Amino acid sequence: MPSDILAVAAIIMIAAITCASRMAGALLMSRVVVSARIERFLNALSVSVIAALVASIVAQNGLREAIAVALAAVIMLGSKSAVWAMLGGMGFAAAWTLFMP
Amino acid sequence: MVIETQNEQKHLNKGVVLTLTGIWRGGRRLFPIALFTVPFGIAFGVAAIESGMTSVQAILMSLMTFSGAAQFATLDFWQEPLAFGALATVVLALNARHVIMGAALAPWVNRLPIGRRALVLGYLSDPNFADSQPLFQNGERDAGILLGGGLILWVCWVAGTAIGTLGSAELGEPTSFGVDVVMPCFFAAVVAGQLKQVSMLAPVLGASAVAVSLLDILPTGWNVVVAALVGGMIGTISHAK
Repeated sequence: MPSDILAVAAIIMIAAITCASRMAGALLMSRVVVSARIERFLNALSVSVIAALVASIVAQNGLREAIAVALAAVIMLGSKSAVWAMLGGMGFAAAWTLFMP
Repeated sequence: MVIETQNEQKHLNKGVVLTLTGIWRGGRRLFPIALFTVPFGIAFGVAAIESGMTSVQAILMSLMTFSGAAQFATLDFWQEPLAFGALATVVLALNARHVIMGAALAPWVNRLPIGRRALVLGYLSDPNFADSQPLFQNGERDAGILLGGGLILWVCWVAGTAIGTLGSAELGEPTSFGVDVVMPCFFAAVVAGQLKQVSMLAPVLGASAVAVSLLDILPTGWNVVVAALVGGMIGTISHAK
């Protein structure tokens, strides 16, 4: 357990790094003229970062999480509601935990 | 600083605003999701106390950092002597995807004056990015939608942390009600919603494959960044044909 001063220093350091990461992307792009090509890149980048996040989470967990996530995607395709998709996936995961030993 | 000249096709993006109405709308949109960050905040609060943090430190950290992954990782380092260098590296890796998201939001966010830009980006996180970016792409011009979503997530995260440090451990067991899958399910829904553009299918599949195959090779976090960049390139190339 770090002393108070070191603890606060660590907390400030983490906050500063995180804040810088939030600012950096837009700052970097402020020097770039967004052409149609870069716009396509950024659009694909947006979907890709979220997809990569989901894929990593699913790969690091089990069947329960994989089915819940797949179910959410299917509900979204059918209903166009992210909230229903989320509730569907969550309901499945809760039922799995309840009924699977 | 804002480059607005010699950029004919960007006229659509002029007039990006930040209004209270937008913030309110963003907050309402993400409220159902934000509620589910409370149990995670509680779990963090409980774990922080167990790691030897004071409740003031834990709450301060949630207030200032507002990044679940970085905060949980920090707890692994919470001992004497504190390994500042290693901790900084891990936090950087876990937050590197913020840079990607910030860049993706740049065409809209960079139209704001610098102070408002910093304010909006200060509350950038995965869920409000996932929610707002498609809206901006479909013509939304109020950056408040991003900020409002971030604010409601932040409030719930801090509130959860505070509850957790006060010792409500039972409420912080996210797996029991399926709360642990809320975020991946929400993100999967956002990705599925984007697939109506067929051109997005290749980037999504490519990025997912790269993220998974790099899991054991790169430190956590960097795999997502590399995967996103690969997905972005696939999107640029496949469209150019």
